[in-house]
Amino acid sequence: MSYSRRGFLKAMTLLSGSALVAPSLLVPRRAGAAAAGGGAAATDDITTWKITGSHFGAIRAKVVGDRVVDIRPFEHDKYPTEMIKGIIGLIYGPSRVRYPMVRLDWYRKRHLSDTSQRGDNRFVRVGWDEALDLFYGELERIQREHGPWALHTGGVGWRSVGQVHSCGNHMVRAVGMHGRSVGTAGDYSTGAGQTILPYVLGSTEVYSQGTSWEVILRESKLIVFWANDPIKNLQVGWNTETHEAYAYYAQLKQKIADKSIRVICLDPVKSKTLNYLGAEHQYVNPMTDVPLMLAIAHTLVKEKLHDQKFLDSYTLGFDRFLPYLEGRGEDGVEKTPEWAAAICGVPADRIRELARLLAQNRSQLIFGWAIQRQQHGEQPYWMGAVLAAMLGQIGLPGGGISYAHHYSSVGVSSSGAAMPGAFPLNLDPGRKPKHDNTDYKGYGAVIPIARVIDALLEPGKEIDFNGNKVKLAPYRMAIFSGCNQWHRQPQRNRMKEAWKKLETVVAIDYNWTATCRFADIVLPACTPYERNDLDAYGSYSNRGIIAMHKLIDPLFHSRTDFDIFRALTRRFNRDQEYSRGLDEMQWVEKLYEDCRKENGLKDIAMPPFAEFWKKGYVLFPEGKPWVRHADFRDDAEVNALGTPSGFIEIFSRKIERYGYADCRGHPVWMEKVERSHGGPGSDRHPLWLQSVHPDKRLHSQLCESEPLRDTYAIQGREPVFISPQDAAARGIKHGDLVRVFNDRGQLLAGANVSDNFPPGVVRIQEGAWFGPTGPDIGALDTYGDPNTLTLDIGTSRLAQATSANTCLVQVEKFAGSAPAVTSFGGPVEVDPEGRKVDQS
Amino acid sequence: MKTLFAFIRRLFLRPSARIGLGVLVTGGFIAGVAAWAGFNKAMEATNHERFCISCHTMHDNLLPELQKTVHWNNRTGVRARCPDCHVPHAFTDKVARKMQASREVWGHLVGTIGTREKFKEHRIVLAQREWARFAANGSKECRACHDYKDMDFERMRPTSQVAMRNAATRNQSCVDCHKGIAHQLPDMKGAHNPAFDTLVSAAAGQRVEVGTAYFTVVPQDIFADEALSTRIGALEVAAKVKVLETKGDAQQVELALWRKNKGYGRVWYGHFGLNITSAVLDKAIARDDKFVTVLESKEDPLTGLEWQQVAAKAWIRKGSLIDSVEPIWTIARASYSTSCSVCHRQPDEAHFDANTWPGLFGGMVGFTSMDGDTAKVVLKYLQTHSSDFSTTQHGAGAPDATLQTARP
Repeated sequence: MSYSRRGFLKAMTLLSGSALVAPSLLVPRRAGAAAAGGGAAATDDITTWKITGSHFGAIRAKVVGDRVVDIRPFEHDKYPTEMIKGIIGLIYGPSRVRYPMVRLDWYRKRHLSDTSQRGDNRFVRVGWDEALDLFYGELERIQREHGPWALHTGGVGWRSVGQVHSCGNHMVRAVGMHGRSVGTAGDYSTGAGQTILPYVLGSTEVYSQGTSWEVILRESKLIVFWANDPIKNLQVGWNTETHEAYAYYAQLKQKIADKSIRVICLDPVKSKTLNYLGAEHQYVNPMTDVPLMLAIAHTLVKEKLHDQKFLDSYTLGFDRFLPYLEGRGEDGVEKTPEWAAAICGVPADRIRELARLLAQNRSQLIFGWAIQRQQHGEQPYWMGAVLAAMLGQIGLPGGGISYAHHYSSVGVSSSGAAMPGAFPLNLDPGRKPKHDNTDYKGYGAVIPIARVIDALLEPGKEIDFNGNKVKLAPYRMAIFSGCNQWHRQPQRNRMKEAWKKLETVVAIDYNWTATCRFADIVLPACTPYERNDLDAYGSYSNRGIIAMHKLIDPLFHSRTDFDIFRALTRRFNRDQEYSRGLDEMQWVEKLYEDCRKENGLKDIAMPPFAEFWKKGYVLFPEGKPWVRHADFRDDAEVNALGTPSGFIEIFSRKIERYGYADCRGHPVWMEKVERSHGGPGSDRHPLWLQSVHPDKRLHSQLCESEPLRDTYAIQGREPVFISPQDAAARGIKHGDLVRVFNDRGQLLAGANVSDNFPPGVVRIQEGAWFGPTGPDIGALDTYGDPNTLTLDIGTSRLAQATSANTCLVQVEKFAGSAPAVTSFGGPVEVDPEGRKVDQS
Repeated sequence: MKTLFAFIRRLFLRPSARIGLGVLVTGGFIAGVAAWAGFNKAMEATNHERFCISCHTMHDNLLPELQKTVHWNNRTGVRARCPDCHVPHAFTDKVARKMQASREVWGHLVGTIGTREKFKEHRIVLAQREWARFAANGSKECRACHDYKDMDFERMRPTSQVAMRNAATRNQSCVDCHKGIAHQLPDMKGAHNPAFDTLVSAAAGQRVEVGTAYFTVVPQDIFADEALSTRIGALEVAAKVKVLETKGDAQQVELALWRKNKGYGRVWYGHFGLNITSAVLDKAIARDDKFVTVLESKEDPLTGLEWQQVAAKAWIRKGSLIDSVEPIWTIARASYSTSCSVCHRQPDEAHFDANTWPGLFGGMVGFTSMDGDTAKVVLKYLQTHSSDFSTTQHGAGAPDATLQTARP
């Protein structure tokens, strides 16, 4: 290696040293000095502390007497997030799943239980052997009596980090060794985006590495963050997050200040990013980005600002889109700035100005994910790509379009090092499940993930999905591991109704989420801080490998996912096959050594395992700056895109042939079932509810951590952000308890009156734990889970993704005595007769 | 010359007039014994590890690598020495190997592999020679200690059982899979996936008949002339070509493929309307009528692009074709199921169509550690096993047509 590690670290320190001006991002490095009294052994030199990884960054932990007493950011993390302050509260919080528990009526009557009692939170404690016997017995019953269509294994999503203990791999492998099941397709974050973009730009894009920040900072003159809040979202990463991207945002802030780069945040709301950077704000009405984009495109054509040469060489179908734009299409409406202004709330002249700005500068468009989580969510992403193609800057340094710069430090170039593999998710080659049955009785073997409730309420319904038909399997048993289904799926009361149809639900988790509350068998997993593992450091930068030292022994009767599922497979005598005869530390060492071998072939040196484990990390040098789509621009034939034609498809004949009314051959503006600011339904429920990714959580992870929750909750409830105008009109003051409601549900929240929000827009961050007053449909949610109110419809026949951001509500000041928050603190433990067990 | 021949003839055929026959026979016998003893002594001496590692190439490079492995040091004290693996145990094979070995001694003397760097660079040659020998004899030396008939499969780890039982049924050569078991693997120059070496050695031994179709085992250049001096493009892995003739080190092949009639038309595909790349031609040649014959043109209804069926003749280097594409897919399939299940369940090959796979694969391959060549082969494998080619009922864009539990 021509680059010494020391030199690299020095460079990294220098780079970020210049950028330590971001106070709101920083946890005071010496804040909260060690809370522990004793602990003579532990020193204050954090490099001697144990190290581990998390979605929120790598951390050092001071452990005294098998108790975590202090958590500090990893010494190489220059922009740590305050979320790590929530970790101790997560480990020692009152919501821990302490013992295997079985829902009372299920304990009595098994799969014939009264399922309308789900949610009453009454559970009987059982031993591990009994719990696993019950779990295994149900798997046997389902496979023998019904077959694979009757078992659903929930898509996992944001498990905890760690390549050995990744919970989805354990569930899928162990359950898969027993028999097949109905899985899921897509995910809740980017369902519409990842489906539409392969047709248009030839790749899912949403999880792709983007143009390197040093290139953007050098070449871009205008950056548009379109419905995007990277400063909020970059706090977390899919693997252990490095927070390296923040250094570039600090530089960007400087460049805005000295006017060398213009940044426009295009968003109904003044985002955290806007406020941090001091960027310009461009307001737009919610869900009307497509009319705005169409009008910009219209201006580009009218003023001949579009790049016809680029369109001819690199795209197909502009000629079939143009008539729609110019009013010569079916609808006969010309997409003029005046037409758009009436819908999107941006003045026509300002739209023209935006078009000119984009065309006359080297412009980088950076889209967030929120606008594809709405009805017709495919359209804004497709239209964004069309706009970028018309500007002709795709593949140029600092130009074109990105859909991922807010995610896991995308834009920090990759070191090129190989990252560790994972505990196998599949059965080993040649092995068959115990019940080797592939007969799904005509039902689909997967369900588009956001349609899993439809499958229960409309059993056997045949739906369109991405050019195909799927017959929804009316599954009878569901398993969720490390996944809070009762946070991410919209429309709680609809879920409650659907859940009545399920005979058996198994949940495996470390804290008592709503998914556990609505389950029948709950198994206590330990937290990632109670097991040995390793993780990639930097999901895209491949910055290094982090040792995940077990900080403390698993609390209560909790176990690792590995132990739980190994014990399950022992029940059908395949535990040796499951574990390959290796234990936890042997797996950690194997994954490390396999990775070391692979990097050895690339001449990237890694120390032997023992040395790595002692030191706690390996870091790799920075990679080379890179420009997305540059290879395509350089040679569109050889480096063809993954679209049907190999070119950017402004018009997709393939989609046109599906014949979907809600997703046509080119991007189209379509009215939503409900829309604020004069749209349908806004007379009854005038406020648009946006349920964005939270600022101080990772989805629903960390919501249960009391010390962290105390920093943002209002009267113990999740905040609802509301404009001063809307608050005043309803007699609401900052800090008031309010009821937020629509025809789908109701919740209690604490009013956070903020002038970051325009009239007609309220925000409740997703991931707030659901805490209904009882199991009955329509019960008030006592904490403020926005999915109590959201709408459960597919984005379109194409992606069938979540439309959670298409949601109107009303807010009123709460009168009367507020019910206690029921979301946290675990179950009510009862004996088999239903008598409450005194836990003291 | 004639007199010399006559002299030799006389020497051997005319009975001796001066020395007694007994003396001659006895003398000859003693000389023979001495020579045999000396030969055996030499054979034995050169068969000792001492001799093997007496040259610094072996001592500095291979010995320290071996010392880290179980073949050097293990629980029960059984040790494999260099000759146990690298010298045939049967007499005639042994002699043959010894004669070959003179080449390595020569290499040592002239310094072809004199430094660690030179050795690493040259190691692929040495390794391939040794792998070819093991492939030819079914890893006979390994099996002196580890034979299939003596293995207790039940006591193996479950994963090993699957692999080993399969290997035993086919009586497979050990080194097919266990390359690098005692020494480091050579640098594969971009093709870091050692699995491809099996293909390369298979192609080296492939009998090629004129007029028959074969598949390329590695990406390779194509040339306008049999001297292989004018490069005009490259073939991808698993490209189907018909062999027209072989001349020296070169082979003339016929390409019969499809292209889009847009731009240079220099990317050639295996099937009409499907973006499965077989060849990439240089810009200068792609529109040259003397080189390219356009056989047919038709519009692809899914994109509106015109596709042309094209044919051309070109030269490639001999020894890079095999008669079945299946071994290539075997490697690709293994790589796909391992690399693509680290983060999520890997979708069934037939759950996408051939033109959808590149987009999805391109979006995800960055999360794997596949090298460039492996990624290309895996993509091609997925495309050729996609719904366009599948006989099962999966349609294009079937339920799995988005990645399961892909990310957030």
